[in-house]
Amino acid sequence: MPGFWLTALKIAWRELRATPAKFAFVMLAVAAGVGSLTGVRGFSVAFRDMLSLRARALMAADVSVRQFSAPTAAQMAVVESLERRGARFTQVTETLTMLLGPGSQAPAMVSAKAVDPAVYPFYGRVTLDPARPLASLLNDQTIAVGEDVLLRLGAHAGDTVRLGGQDFRIAAAVVSEPDRMSGNINVGLRVLMTRGGLERTGLIRFGSRAAQRLLFQLPPKGMTVDEAKAELHRAFPEAQVLGYRETNPGLTRGLDRATMFLSLVCLIALIVGAIGVASAMHAHLSQKMDTIAVMKSIGARSAQVIRVYTMEALLLGLGGSIAGIVTGAGIEHAFPVLLKRYFPLPVEIGWDWQAALQGLACGMLTTLLFTAPPLVRIRRIRPNLILRRDMPESRPPWRERLRESRQSAGWGLVFLVALGALAAWLGGSPRAGVYFAGGLLVSLIALSAVAWVLLRAVRVLLRAFGLYMPTSLRQGLANLDRPGNQAQAVLVALGVGVMFTLSIFLVQKSLVAEIVETAPPGLPNIFLIDVQPSQHDDVISLIRSTLGVKTSLDIVPSIQVRITKVNGVPTEDLPLKGFDRRFTHTRAMTTAGAQPKGIDVREGQWWKDGGKGMEIAVGEGAAKTLHLSPGSTLDLNAMDRDIPVRVAAIYRVDGFRMSGMSEFVATPKALEGLPAIYYGGLHVPRAQVGQLERVMFDKFPTVTVINIAEALELVQEVVDQVALLIRFLSAFAIAGGVIILASSVAGTRFRRIREVVILKTLGGTRRRIARVFSVEFLVLGSVAGLMGGVLAAGFSTLVLHRLLEGHGHVGWGPIPVAVAITALVADGTGWLASFRILGQKPLEILRED
Amino acid sequence: MSISRPILDVSGLTKTIDSGTHRVEILRGIDFSVPTGQFVAIMGASGSGKSTLLGLLAGLDTPTSGRIVLDGEDITGLGEDTLAGVRGRKIGFVFQSYQLIPTLTAEENVLLPHELTGGRDGLGRARELLASVGLQERMNHYPIQLSGGEQQRVALARAFMVHPPILMADEPTGNLDSANGRHVLELLISLNRSEGTTLILVTHDRDLAAHADRVITLMDGRIASDELRTGTAA
Repeated sequence: MPGFWLTALKIAWRELRATPAKFAFVMLAVAAGVGSLTGVRGFSVAFRDMLSLRARALMAADVSVRQFSAPTAAQMAVVESLERRGARFTQVTETLTMLLGPGSQAPAMVSAKAVDPAVYPFYGRVTLDPARPLASLLNDQTIAVGEDVLLRLGAHAGDTVRLGGQDFRIAAAVVSEPDRMSGNINVGLRVLMTRGGLERTGLIRFGSRAAQRLLFQLPPKGMTVDEAKAELHRAFPEAQVLGYRETNPGLTRGLDRATMFLSLVCLIALIVGAIGVASAMHAHLSQKMDTIAVMKSIGARSAQVIRVYTMEALLLGLGGSIAGIVTGAGIEHAFPVLLKRYFPLPVEIGWDWQAALQGLACGMLTTLLFTAPPLVRIRRIRPNLILRRDMPESRPPWRERLRESRQSAGWGLVFLVALGALAAWLGGSPRAGVYFAGGLLVSLIALSAVAWVLLRAVRVLLRAFGLYMPTSLRQGLANLDRPGNQAQAVLVALGVGVMFTLSIFLVQKSLVAEIVETAPPGLPNIFLIDVQPSQHDDVISLIRSTLGVKTSLDIVPSIQVRITKVNGVPTEDLPLKGFDRRFTHTRAMTTAGAQPKGIDVREGQWWKDGGKGMEIAVGEGAAKTLHLSPGSTLDLNAMDRDIPVRVAAIYRVDGFRMSGMSEFVATPKALEGLPAIYYGGLHVPRAQVGQLERVMFDKFPTVTVINIAEALELVQEVVDQVALLIRFLSAFAIAGGVIILASSVAGTRFRRIREVVILKTLGGTRRRIARVFSVEFLVLGSVAGLMGGVLAAGFSTLVLHRLLEGHGHVGWGPIPVAVAITALVADGTGWLASFRILGQKPLEILRED
Repeated sequence: MSISRPILDVSGLTKTIDSGTHRVEILRGIDFSVPTGQFVAIMGASGSGKSTLLGLLAGLDTPTSGRIVLDGEDITGLGEDTLAGVRGRKIGFVFQSYQLIPTLTAEENVLLPHELTGGRDGLGRARELLASVGLQERMNHYPIQLSGGEQQRVALARAFMVHPPILMADEPTGNLDSANGRHVLELLISLNRSEGTTLILVTHDRDLAAHADRVITLMDGRIASDELRTGTAA
């Protein structure tokens, strides 16, 4: 009936206009949800982009190809094809050579890295002293050298040194280079030169052992890292092809989880906002029962009435969403300003209409979804309500009740599926949708059941002991079970809200702890290579005397071992190609009694006897190449001794750990008595790094000191920023959730007006009435807090373990606090909302009747 | 006008409220028939079941047993939406508490039943009806801006908007002072005559019932008496 659309719109608009204060709250709830969604999402996307730039800086590229031979013509054709599709390419060559300083008697072994300074690095930057761009200082006649080179050779910037039989002028000292940990020749002193300079030395000839790294920067659109990797892998079957995410898997995993968590936070903010909307619409429709009954009695069909109130919901959703989009834009621009002292993030002034449209769609859809249950209930409002207001409603026959419950269940299913789809879309994973819809369903069922039990318990309690209770307590409890009271609805809304809000807190707490563990403070930033057994104790004393006795040195043995058989098959017979052939040579293995810090066991179990058995743990990459799993066998050989070992565990480790220096960790028993050299890692305050390098060089010139302080600082900075952002945005969402939940309680005040008036007319003082309400609110708040808390513990565990693949434990500790806070918030807002009503003159209200 | 054809036929009507914990028998077997054009007053003490009966006759509720035939159509087993359609086409309703939609003006309130049935161009008729109840100057006022008597006059105009063959009124003067009550009653009777409508009115006011062609008195859910006041056949 097209004619009625206009009338429906008119009625909807007039009703909204008639009580703006009531609907302002609904709009506020939608606006808070949409604002969080668009603002937080937009901001977190910008933040993630910034952080992933930093993760890319660790490789200086999006994708790298690493091999020990120059690319063939066919391989270069693939590279050129990538370039034609918008990718940028540069080649880095690294080789070991000797460098002779000015006036030096003996040359020093250095790791020379030849780059094209015009394009290298694609991400991050090389910091030089003097602070000038790499391209302006480096040419075919100059080199930049690490500070350790200057120290070792007693050279200075401007001096001329000899490398590969050619003279080079030292143009600058390299303070930091972004991909310091990505090169394959990290051992030794550092020299940075141009590709032309390296060519001039004639060091790279056919058959020279030089590492080639082909770096690619992909275009912003049209080619993903995985696609490029796959294509390069086909073209370079024997090379190691890595995406930037693999440089530091712990860090990128942390970023992924943070991003997913932030999406979930936005979704929760939207849902909590929608709960507010549903509560308000429920209260509104309860007040509009008469109007609905009148419309039905003069001929309106249920669908027509539903149309009126759907339009109201849509208008509110539209208004709230627009307000939310504006707020979101504000948030997106305000966050970088608020957080600028912690990390710099460019504020992009512009209008992202796609994000705005997404926010609008989400706001409208969520409003419609959450107002659907009260809207569907319009069908149940009988027109005879007008004539028989004070008579009990007749209980419909079971067939009708079954039909109605089937209808409600159908609508409920539609609602859950739509919500799940929304969650899957925002969370970027179908699993997120399933968990959200499932979590909500379980919560609704549990909370409805608890509300049902509570109300019946209250009824029984009052019947048995009501007369012995103080009047305020009796009336407060009786209020919960009074016909027309929204106790059940408020309890469910509050409970679900507490569940989601507390889940944010619990998940972020655990997630932040895990992300911080990726790069905890105190992680080694200095590595000592080749410490001889005879130097072991002296090195430790020297370090402690230089840096303080409390300095902890993580020192591990490195033992040269050859793998002769894998699961009984001789290693030579294994189909290993290219980079994987390294397993046929002697490998450096280490030993450990207990599971070292930073090692994450993915399969199997670490030995628990301190390493008294013949066992070994293998890094994920090696295990994949050699097809190893717990229970596999390896035959090792060292010093003509055969050592059969069983694989106990497969582990993952970040490159910043000492334990990450080796792909194999055996039990001390397995490699007992074999000659070892030691590798050490220690955390040195930044200011003392130079001092340690100098004393180590003076006392132990054969020990190589590798300084990764700069790279580690970058990682730690990213980790700290992610943790800070998670905490900040979670606090924002939690604060928003509390406000919206408080408003849900406040929304019940319209129901109280008549009750207050009658109590006052009968002689009830304001204090007594306030006490009655306090009992009601405290019971509601406590039960909702308890149930919400228990559900939050379950939901957080599910999200943390299944969705975010975390290992953290969600404690029960915050639940009592949640109960107390919910009870106080419910009571406080209930009080605030009722305050004005308590002051009203009874006649003002009675006259309106 | 012809008043010979029955517009309403009620037989064996009962209504029992079963709230799960207790049962209340409100109507215990009602039989009567109303010819077209008759003005019937239903009287009875509080709780005698008169409002419930009116609600059932108007299809606002469903009976526990029995049958109601309205204008030749058995409405007893109809679904909620079909009943709403019947009400929209065949029944005008006047309530004791006026029951206007507070967010619509007087004119829009009168027009509403017409719009609900999908009608267009009803503005002329709405204005005509409002003029006939003396509210031509108050058409654009909202209910809250009108006195009780004026609101009930708007409700009267609304009830006649779709030319219903039958009009039902529940204590239409119950909330009004005597002067306003009299005025509304006069308008109701006058419109009823001019529109040729059958009128069923629930009241406990004997003076008001005195204007009716027929008075049915209920007691404890049963018809205690059924009197014809004029020469009209029951």
